[in-house]
Formats: sequence, structure tokens, C-alpha cells
Amino acid sequence: MSLSPSTSKMLSLKSSDGKVLEVEEHVAVLCETIKSLVEDGCADSPIPLANVDGATLGNVMEWCKKHADQKASADDLEDWDAEFVERDQGELYHLIMAANYLNIKGLLDLICQKVADMIKGKHPEKIREIFNIENDFTPEQQEQIRKDNSWAFE
Amino acid sequence: MEKSSWAISKPGTTSIVNQSRFFPVFSKTRGERKSTLEHIHRRHRFSEMKENKHSTVRKWENMPYDILLKIFMTLNIVDMVSGISGVCSSWRSACCDPVLWKTLDLSQLKSDYINIPSEPYAWSDDRSSEKLMQILKNALSLSRGNVTCLIFHFYIYIKDEHLIYTAERCPGLKRLVLPAWTKVTVEGFRKAVQMCKGLESMTVPCISSPSRIMEAISTNCKNFCELKIMCPFDMEFATAITTRLPKLKVLSLRCSMLFKEALVHILNYLEHLEVLNISHCLLLDIPQSPAPSRVFRELDASILEKASRLREFLTCQENSCTMCQYTINDEGILRWHIYEEGLWRMDEEISFPRQVMPPAPAERCHRGVWKH
Repeated sequence: MSLSPSTSKMLSLKSSDGKVLEVEEHVAVLCETIKSLVEDGCADSPIPLANVDGATLGNVMEWCKKHADQKASADDLEDWDAEFVERDQGELYHLIMAANYLNIKGLLDLICQKVADMIKGKHPEKIREIFNIENDFTPEQQEQIRKDNSWAFE
Repeated sequence: MEKSSWAISKPGTTSIVNQSRFFPVFSKTRGERKSTLEHIHRRHRFSEMKENKHSTVRKWENMPYDILLKIFMTLNIVDMVSGISGVCSSWRSACCDPVLWKTLDLSQLKSDYINIPSEPYAWSDDRSSEKLMQILKNALSLSRGNVTCLIFHFYIYIKDEHLIYTAERCPGLKRLVLPAWTKVTVEGFRKAVQMCKGLESMTVPCISSPSRIMEAISTNCKNFCELKIMCPFDMEFATAITTRLPKLKVLSLRCSMLFKEALVHILNYLEHLEVLNISHCLLLDIPQSPAPSRVFRELDASILEKASRLREFLTCQENSCTMCQYTINDEGILRWHIYEEGLWRMDEEISFPRQVMPPAPAERCHRGVWKH
């Protein structure tokens, strides 16, 4: 089966909240999960993606479309990616989960790096605040951690 | 290392803020209070909807374990120890995964030091020493004994207590990169290697009694086979190696002062040697007096002949090579601190620690990284 842009047909993807997105096949197959469905000939009806909501699916496909564009240069993609990851933590979370579920290595690497960059050089309180994480340590554990890390507070 | 400027909020701060926020609500009349409460209720419902829409409710703590690892893998030791390990319990347990601790790279940490004119030439205050100990304690506690490769920065000042404490908690250590400024004694070093019997590979920027150090290694580490030396390599060093570590397979002497006699000695007696890197060395020949000692750039035919049995013999004596220039300018004892950070870690032996390599031509110069 040819997956080149000129012969690419359209695929329907159905998100967890029931939205249907029409995507060119050569774009959608950047998701390894969809690619295997296409290769197995199981991609005729709208493909249900139970773990990806409509908004996230739209973002993912936007990334795939850019990265399926063979005319885009490496520099161009780098700049585009840098802009693409400028999102709040909620959207980044959904993008990571979707990239993992749909098996898109490039996107997963990109978002994980962005998250790591957001963590770098920050103390636990700030990280919790940025990612809206609950502190579930007991007061004793918390005190121990604070004591252990006192060198970093100087 | 970079000094962190963050502080913990003082206890009690939060409650003061909360009081001032809620106090006005209860001081209002009943009607006013009702509308305010409704407003709060509406706001709460609105924020719920908003949260549902963007799904920003707490989820990062339940992130699949392998994705957390993927994120954490790109972080450095300070971020691991003082940042993510203190965020929440699930992040803390992911922080202890063996895959994150295979290599404990402390090359981010340098000592605050003072240069002094007599030995040990560099002196570090107690504060940096205590700080290093605390970082080691935290890191090694998270590592749970899974470290196989330990890297100290070239310019960190360590003492016996640091090395021994670390060795005790790294029973599976295979590769050790020691700093140049060590106050580690031979006895301290011996104690450390006694606990790391699986040690195979080591980088030593500076050694005062090579024979006793090599003896400690040969007695304890039966699989030891790779060594990188970053200080002048003379006959004393060469004989220490040929006597104590005759089975050495890989030796790198790059960018150091290398005496011809010592080079010939190791080529003659290290029968198991497979890889030798003498790139950018300051080659010195000290013939019998009265002839003066001289720097030479061309390896003579007898050396090349001896080296031809090696699987890989890396040399570089090029005028156009920056590293060669550095070695010449610094007269064979490189001042790594004036060059770009991390340059001290480089090595042409790119396949390090060990991989099958194709036979190489006798002379070549290619840049690479001393792989850990």
C-alpha cells in the first residue's frame, strides 16, 4: 500500500468525546498505532481512539501534518516545534498521554524534553505548583526531605 | 555548581493568607453572605467545568512510570536530588529506578577552592566539603546501590571520607573517574577499592604514588583492564603499570607529558594491550647526559613497529590541531579550567569502554567523547 502524499486517501479518527476528524492517511500514519491498523486493513470505518479527546487529537494531528510535510527543513521544524510546545501543563499532559497511546516517538520525545526543561533548576514546591501536583508526603517525610536538601536552599 | 536561591515558605504564612481571605465572608450580613456563597459556589462549579474541559486536575503524579523515567532521564543530579525526588511519593519512587542511576555523573559539581603555593596546591573550605558529602548522601540513598559508573569533576576536591562513603554504596562500580584535586590517601583509596571489586576502568588525573595505587587495584579488582592517565607519564608510572597491571587492555595518555622511555617500556611489556591513545601528548626524550632533553613530534620506526601489534594506536602531533597546541602551550600539564567546560572529559577512544572495533590505521586523529 502506497502512503505517499499524492495518493494519500482520507482517514476518519474518532476521539473519546465523539468528535470525528478527517485526516490524510500519510499524516495519520505518523502514529504507529494507526499505521499498524492501516497495514492490517482495519482502518475503513472511523477509527475509535478511546484515550484521546478531540482537542488533543486536533493538536496531535497538527504536529503530524507539519512533520509529514516533506518540504519542511530541519531548522524550520525545530522552530515550529519550539512554538508548538508553548502550552500549559494540562495540554502538555494530554499530549504526552496521546503521543504515548498513539506511539509517536518524535512527539513524545519533544514533549518530555519540554517538561524536563520546565522542571530544571526548580525546587519541589515550585514544581508542584507548575504541574498542580499534590504533596502526599507525611509531615515527617517532608521534614526529612527538607533537611536532606538543606544544602540546596543556601 | 550553581547556587540555588530558593527558600522554603515559613510555617504559618499560609494560614495568615487564608484568614485574611475568608474573614470578610463571615463578617457580612446574611443576605450579603448568601450571595457571596452563591458566587463562591458558582465560581467553584465554573472552575470544575474549566478543569474538566482542560483536565488540569492532578494527574502528573499518576503519570505512567516509563514516561516519568523518560522525563527524568534528561535531568542532572542536582535536579534529581533537590528537585523531583521531593515532589511527591510516586515521583520519588520513580526517582530511585536503577536505570537513572547507572551513571552517577557529579561533573556538574565543582569545589569552591583557594590556590595555595605548596602541596596539595588547592584547598577547599569545609563548607564545600560538607555540601559534597550531603549531595553524595542524598544521591546514593536514591541510587540504592545501582551505580556502575561514577564521575567526579576534574576540579572537585574530595577526601578519603567522600570516596570511602561512596564506594561503600556502589558495590557494583565498574568505572570511576577521579578528580585532579584529591586529598585521598593511598590508604583511603585502598579501602575504597576493597569495596569495589568489580572495578574495570578508571580515569586518574593525578597520582603521587602510582605503584601503591596500582597495587591496590591489582589486589582487589581482578577484571581491571582500562586506564586513563591525565598527568605526566614517566618511567615510575610505566613500571608501576607493567608490574602491577600487566593485563591492561586499554590505556589513554592523551594530552599529557609523555616520556619516550616510558612509552617504549609499556609497548615492550604490556603484552595484552589492545588500545593505546597518545594523541596530543607532549613527547619528551631524555637521552643520557650530556645530551639535552628534547621535545619530538615524529614517532620513530621502532616505536611504530612495536605499536603495530595494537588493535588501535591513536596518535596526533599536528600543528593545525587545537588540542596539540594546548598541550604545547601548557607544557604538557593542561590547564583544563581555562578551556571550554567538559573538554577534560573528551577522548578519541570513542568506543570506550569496550566494543569490537575495526582495525585502524596507525595514525589518525578523530574527535570523540570518552563514553561512560
